[in-house]
Amino acid sequence: MPIDRKHLGRRYGPYRFPVGLQQIRDFVAAVGGGVPGHVFSAPPDRTHPWTWDEEAAQRSPHGGLVAPPTFATAFAIEPFANACSDPELAVNVLRLVHGEQEFEFLEPVRPGDLLETTGEVTRIQERGNLDFLEVTTTTRNQHGRIVVKGVWTAIVRN
Amino acid sequence: MKRLQDFTVGDTFGLVREVDPYRPIYYAAASGDFNPIHIDPELGRAAGYHGVILQGMCTYSWMAEACVAYLGDPTRLSHVRARFTKPVQVGDVITFEGRCAGIEGGVIRLEVTARNQRGEEILKGATAEGRAGEG
Repeated sequence: MPIDRKHLGRRYGPYRFPVGLQQIRDFVAAVGGGVPGHVFSAPPDRTHPWTWDEEAAQRSPHGGLVAPPTFATAFAIEPFANACSDPELAVNVLRLVHGEQEFEFLEPVRPGDLLETTGEVTRIQERGNLDFLEVTTTTRNQHGRIVVKGVWTAIVRN
Repeated sequence: MKRLQDFTVGDTFGLVREVDPYRPIYYAAASGDFNPIHIDPELGRAAGYHGVILQGMCTYSWMAEACVAYLGDPTRLSHVRARFTKPVQVGDVITFEGRCAGIEGGVIRLEVTARNQRGEEILKGATAEGRAGEG
């Protein structure tokens, strides 16, 4: 059944996310061919040193570790995930794929940041036997500055 | 570190990543995306795949990683966009090929292709932008 367009504008959040050093390093390991965690963990096979190596990051223009830009997935996905699993929208998650993703990065994310993400359903569209569900998110840091904007699109086969 | 004048339209860069059997689980642990379709092969098969599929955002992160390596600084990446066109499965080898498509007003525009070992495009319309100072 197609998603009811009355849910356009439906809002999710705010979701708070305190950024930890280990979370950033786990993300970098998982993406970079390593193993996250403390047990049987392994470093990434290659990555940008400023997202992994604290000493190298200290000597960088940023003076410390920064998160890789797509770490945004970890802290900004909640509005999208919660829209996709929202009983009101009644999306069959087994028929859902992530169709498209756009990010605009405005501020670096560092360990110790406290982030807050809100999201809104910005498109519900039926095209043939496919439904498009788009959620737009905005994440701000503890200084009130926008860190990242995301446009997340799910495609549901009907 | 590279300055703006060190980037040239037509520059190329690349990255190859292989999906080992544990990658979807490692990525789930690190990203918080525990959608069972990335964890449970039976569920993946029920959804019409050969088994689990890799989180699209892991592939997307690889694309961004390739762009960051070219730009020289993770904070220089200002914009990324891509459409996911094919599921990525365990055993797949993904080759990313990037190109500097334009430089205008301090903004470096990048275009990236991503193909699996069968030559199938797994991302379409993959573009990124970076900012660099003249130094």
